[in-house]
Order: sequence, then structure tokens, then C-alpha cells
Amino acid sequence: MNKVYSLHDAVEKFVEDGDVLAIGGFTTNRKPYATVSEILRQGKKDFIVYAGPGGGEVDMLIGEGRVAAYINCYTANSGYTNVSRRFRAAIEQGKLTYEDYSQDVLMLMLHAASLGLPFLPVRLMQGSGLMKYWGISEEKRKSMPKLEDLKCAEIENPMVPGQKVVAVPVPKFDTAIIHVQQASPDGTCIICGDEFHDIDIAVAARKTIVTCEEIVSNEFIRRDPTKTRIFGECVQAVVKAPYGAWPSQCYDYYDDDDAGLKEYDKASKYQDAEDAKAQLAKAAAKAEKAAAAKPEDAKLADAAARAKKAAEDAAAGVKIPETFKDYVEKWVYSCEDQSALLDKIGGSRLMRLKNEPHLGYSTTH
Amino acid sequence: MSDYTKYTKQEMQAYAIAKNIKENQIVIVGTGLPLIGASLAKRAVCPSCHPIVESGLMDCDPVEVPRSVGDNRFMAHCAVQWPNIRFVGFEANEWLHDEDRLVAFIGGAQIDPYGNVNSTCIFGKGDYLQPTTRFTGSGGANGIATYCNTIIMMQHQKRRFIDKVDYITSCGWMDGPGGRERAGLPGNRGPQMVVTDLGIMKFDDETKRMYLAYYYPFSTPEMVQENTGFEIDVSRAQLMEGPSPEIIKLIREEIDPGQAFIKVPKD
Repeated sequence: MNKVYSLHDAVEKFVEDGDVLAIGGFTTNRKPYATVSEILRQGKKDFIVYAGPGGGEVDMLIGEGRVAAYINCYTANSGYTNVSRRFRAAIEQGKLTYEDYSQDVLMLMLHAASLGLPFLPVRLMQGSGLMKYWGISEEKRKSMPKLEDLKCAEIENPMVPGQKVVAVPVPKFDTAIIHVQQASPDGTCIICGDEFHDIDIAVAARKTIVTCEEIVSNEFIRRDPTKTRIFGECVQAVVKAPYGAWPSQCYDYYDDDDAGLKEYDKASKYQDAEDAKAQLAKAAAKAEKAAAAKPEDAKLADAAARAKKAAEDAAAGVKIPETFKDYVEKWVYSCEDQSALLDKIGGSRLMRLKNEPHLGYSTTH
Repeated sequence: MSDYTKYTKQEMQAYAIAKNIKENQIVIVGTGLPLIGASLAKRAVCPSCHPIVESGLMDCDPVEVPRSVGDNRFMAHCAVQWPNIRFVGFEANEWLHDEDRLVAFIGGAQIDPYGNVNSTCIFGKGDYLQPTTRFTGSGGANGIATYCNTIIMMQHQKRRFIDKVDYITSCGWMDGPGGRERAGLPGNRGPQMVVTDLGIMKFDDETKRMYLAYYYPFSTPEMVQENTGFEIDVSRAQLMEGPSPEIIKLIREEIDPGQAFIKVPKD
């Protein structure tokens, strides 16, 4: 069976508003940015999102207001952004419905979903805030049919009387989105390097969209079954999307895009132009106060003058720094598909990201 | 820059990390300072150690400093590429088998006298649901602090060393002796020390409270007390000697030449 779709058609057919979405990859490695971008372009929304350790891909969904609930264990473009900024701002502004688990528990929950378990007992999170504080109350959970009623519950181990363990729910995914190195038209996938939780979510989800660097024939992919990691019958759509994990890494193919991740880091400080003006005005006031407190400090006075100029330029519309909205306009909405994105990134820049085979990464990324 | 007799606070911290890794230990590192410290241990201080990362990459020996625990730089230079769940299972089984080989580095924004660490959020004027400052969340730290002995990396500041943390992300000794058992946690695991830019703190065997074990050539016990937001016993403190020029040269020229995590001082 031929499951090859265009990115547009795969997302149109297999992603629905309100889906429980499971995203593959690990912070800045093999994150399915192409599919996330297409979801943004098609305006789909109200997702309950699980991403394992998330990064910019979750941050963009949050910044664009597409997330009804985010089940978090860690969210950062590690090494570039300490805490993903739209995620952070949304929580600090009380705008995001979210739940915190430890990474161990969340990844075990994804694995339990792949095993079809009814619930999962763990000896983790005990004594910590992860059990004490619930981001989504039982009452609110009951109003969300796709979310289990409880975050967790301490129970007695029926096999070992007196031993306290923690029961956590096993999620049910509507759609998994993953990016792999090679796939065949029947859905069989080759993942090079660490699989992360990608196999778990592909098995667990009702629908799985795979983007890949290369499509190879059904016959070719069977030549070495030690490399194949996902049974094609778990996959609904196969999409050829070269550099589909950009700006994150893809083992054996390319490194992360240093410039791209730095651009996102800077731009995502500000939601939009209004936010940039407000934040720069606030920063200027703070710098002025600091300088006034120590009038003899020339460095503080200089910093205050610079902050004042930046705030004035922004307020007058002379110079507004790139914002999150600008970034997604530039790298998501104005690119009609993956080809348009690659043209915009440019050939030489993409070539610089290519892994050097003897190292397994790029020294020019 | 070529003066290897002068070193920074961060270089001292990396050296302190390396000195506390023992022969044949399996060391859970993240990125940043612990990775530099473990790389230093592997190359100069304790070559028999095995660095592993929570993404599931085992016995890592990166050529270039990785930026994240899932980085291709770890992935291409390790012994085994396990998924995270195998790492979690390995960690738990080490405890079930009563092995004492694992030691882990974790970081945080706040710590209390019993080594309970917060890396989730600072409530400030708000609460958990709408905190003043939000961080990434647990990552692998909660599981690590459950099953492994830990070395906690912190910046030594009064607002970070406080009597009660807003949110316990990673459990330390809880409220003192027996606290871990009462919470359902392994009692024979817990924080061993806190390495900061001012010294090395350990935990009293009886009370489980933090005390100052070592200060550095550029710090004093008084500085440690001044920058700690709770009463800390400094009576047992000893001076830890600084790193040799050879060690500093190794850090700057081989381990982190790109200054990804350790900035070289401008003369």
C-alpha cells in the first residue's frame, strides 16, 4: 500500500483539532519541525501535547496559541535557550494549561502506551512537588474527555504489602508525528542513532505521520532489517521532507543550525511588536533606576542610556527587534511548503549543516 | 590567556567535580560544568569512569563539547545508544541490585539545608500555577535524585540557599533523618555534596544538614556563610588546593577550546 502523501495532504487528513498529539525527538534532535510548521499553517488547534523533552517545536505551538494542554517534563532548546521562552511566558502569565511530570515518568508513560497497559505503577516523584502540585485539577480534568481524571495517585503495591507506589495514567494518542532518516512507501522506517520515544508513540497512536529525509522502496528497506525500527502498519502517512527536522539535528544527516536556533532564541523573547515595546520600556525603567542608585558608576549610566534608546526606538517604530511573530511569519507562514523553506534557508547554509561522516556532526554548523 | 597559573571560579568548580569522581564510577552528567568536570576526570584524574547521559547514551566520550544530552556529539561517540526508558530502568536496577557505582550531577535554582532542590519554578508573588519565574521542569533530575547518589551544582547565592524551597523537584534528605524512607524513597541514596563557586558542602551523617567541608583558595568560610540564606556549620571546613597549570591547560586547550561552557579570563 502506498502511504506517500504531500506534507499538506498528510496534515490535512490525519491531524484534527483537539487531537492528543505525541511529538517525537529530543529537545534539539530529530524534532519534526516540518510537520509542526504545516500544522501551524493549516490553523489546526486545541491540542493536548506530549513531546517527551520538548524544544522549539512545542514552544511555537504554545506561542501560536494552539495548545489546549501541555504535558511537560522539560522544555528548552538546550545550549541555546535555557527555558523555552513562549512556554515560560505563557506559564508566568497564567495562560497555559499544563502538567509537570518528571522525564522518567513521562517517558515511561509513553512506553506504557506502546505496551497497551491500563495504568502504570512507578517509584518516582514520591515526596516531591511533582506529586503535591497538580497543574490540571481533577475537576478540570473531568471536563477534558481526552485527559485522564487523575495526574497520579499513591497506592499500595498489591504484591508487596505496605509498599507505597505511584500510579500514573497511560495516555491515548490520536496522532504521533516523527521525523526519521528513511522510510518506504508502505510505512516501514529506518531510524539512525537513538530512537528516543519515537517508536513508542508510533505504536501507541491511532495515526502516525512520518516525515523522512529519503523515501526508499519497500524492497530496498527490507535488505537489512536490522536497521528498520517501525513496522509500516503503524504508519498512516509517509512524507518526503528533506531537512524536516531543521533547525534541530538529524543523526547521520545534519547538525543543528546554530544561526537558526540563536535567531529563535532572540526572537522568542518577545511575543510580538507590542510585547517588545512593553518589555524594552520596562527594561529601560529598570536600568535607569539602577543607574540613579549608583550615579558614580559609568557602566550603569551607559547601560541605562542604551536601554533608553532601544525603548524609544521601539516605541517610535524606528527599530523594533525581531519577535516571535516575525520569526514564525518568516520561517513558517511565508513558506508554502518544505521546498520553499529550503530555498529560504539557502543551499550553502544547508551544506554547512551536513554531518561530517568521520565525526558524526558538523564543524561548520 | 596563556597564563595557566590563574584560574576562574568555574575552572575551580570543574576541577572540584573531577576530583570527586571515583575509579570505575558510572557518572550521570548533563551538559555544562558537570560535563567539563567529567571530561577532565576521564582524561586526567580518573580515566576508568563511565560518563552517561539521561537521554540513554552510555559511556560517552565526545570529541567536541555537546550542547544537549541528546546531541549528535554524544550520540556519535558513545558505547550504546539506548532510549531514555532503558536509562531509567538501568538507574532503578542499580539500586535494586544494591550496586554503589552510580553518581549523578544535577543542578537547580534553589536548595534547602537538606539538599532538596527546586528546578521547576519560583513562586514569587504567584503560585505553582502562575509563578513569577518558570524553569524547564524536572528533566531527568527527579528520577536521578530518587535512585542515585547526587552531587548538586549550584551558584552560591543567598537567594538560592534558603530554608524552604518553593517546590521540591528533586528530593534530597527531605526533612532530615528518616525523611526519605517516610516519603517512600530509597533511604540509602541521597545528595552527597553541593559544589558551588565558593566551596564544597556535605551533609552531616547524623542530622543530614548541610555543612561546609571545603572552601577554595579564593573563598573563605565567612564568605560561604554570608552567601547562604540559612545557618551553616563551617567549623569543619578545610582548604581545597587549586588545580595545577597542567589541569587548566587541559581544560582550555583540549576539553573546551571553543569556550562553550567555561570562559577563559581576559588578562
